Amino acid sequence: MAREKTWQDLINVADLFAGDATPVSFQGRELAVFDTKEGITVSLARCTHGAANLCDGYFNGTHIECPLHQGLFDARSGAAVAAPARVPLRMLQARVVGGVVQIMA
Amino acid sequence: MSAPVLTPITQALADGTLTRVELKTLMQRSNGPAFRHLALWIVVLACTGSLIFLAYDSWLIWPAMFLHGVVMVHHFSLQHECCHYTVFKTRWINDVIGNICGFIIMLPNRHFRYEHCDHHTYTQLHGDDPEMIELPQSLGGYFWYLSSIPYWRNKFTELARHTMGRLTPEEERFIPRPEHQTIFWEARLMLIGYLVILAACTATGWWAPIWYWWLPVVLGEPVMRFIRMTEHVGKPCVRDMKENTRTNYVARPMQFLAWNMNYHAEHHYAASVPFYALPALHEKLKTHVAVEPRGYLGAHIDILGQLTGRTPRSDAAEAG
Repeated sequence: MAREKTWQDLINVADLFAGDATPVSFQGRELAVFDTKEGITVSLARCTHGAANLCDGYFNGTHIECPLHQGLFDARSGAAVAAPARVPLRMLQARVVGGVVQIMA
Repeated sequence: MSAPVLTPITQALADGTLTRVELKTLMQRSNGPAFRHLALWIVVLACTGSLIFLAYDSWLIWPAMFLHGVVMVHHFSLQHECCHYTVFKTRWINDVIGNICGFIIMLPNRHFRYEHCDHHTYTQLHGDDPEMIELPQSLGGYFWYLSSIPYWRNKFTELARHTMGRLTPEEERFIPRPEHQTIFWEARLMLIGYLVILAACTATGWWAPIWYWWLPVVLGEPVMRFIRMTEHVGKPCVRDMKENTRTNYVARPMQFLAWNMNYHAEHHYAASVPFYALPALHEKLKTHVAVEPRGYLGAHIDILGQLTGRTPRSDAAEAG
């Protein structure tokens, strides 16, 4: 039987790159924590096009640009915004509690 | 967890050549430097174009057109930067300017963007890098490439193929299926644009596009071929960015025309770094990447040495 998902601590907010994307490894998965203009969001870190780690790309507070091919994703929703990205990012449910970013996992 | 994709940036970060904070600082974008550069660019174009006007009734029109053409073909450099979205902070302006540049030099922007993506993924890898310029086998092959005849033949063939709604197997690999129609219509619109201009010239007897645009581009293209060869030709056909790409120190006017793309190894390391930050990135990476201090000429001395047998060919190990 699959384990029920619960809120898990991911990283302290103080350890994030302010206004940027922070790479975090969690249970063998590469995650990207985005400090967006509208709050903290978390997604799988790999670009859905070329699999580069998006945390190395340019982030303007809303959109994350792949460092390899400059495909664009909305870091709030995961939507693929510009070519060559076509498949949306997989977002993880996230929240901040007591200065800690938590994800539902 | 699957194996990480080793992008040049992850390579640089892993090597400790660059910290994440330094990289992110260099990645910051601004419209200011681009608009200033573009304003001066237009002034230069106006100056070289004026030379054609002044030389209109003499043989001097040919050197004037060549000089203007050298500037015109460098729209490639601007388009290239736009396709990386590293000219303007405002992303859509990069698309607009990239398409204008593409129309000027007959390089459809969206197709070039997809092709260039694969060039960055598979730099210098035979069969995978769609922009790979082979190290010529002989002096004849070297001058044949520089003549630009094979380049234009390829470009006209490409435009015709896309206009007819066809792609090569290689193009099908790097262009996603949902984008095929975009590529076809991009080519058709470009062709229609040229034909409309040609028809207007024929109808009005106003042939300025020939003298100020098309002939100069044809005359200038060998210079662009000469420059494009310096980026990777003669470098080892390996994945390592420290080896497969060459940075060239060039005179300031050439650096201006190239939108700093002479810092080519740095660009391959971090393609998201804006053109105006490449000299600063170079300061961080200059001991880490291949630098040709003699510039474009030095790179060609290296290339010529290899193809005439004075030095080992960079592709010898691969061929063996």
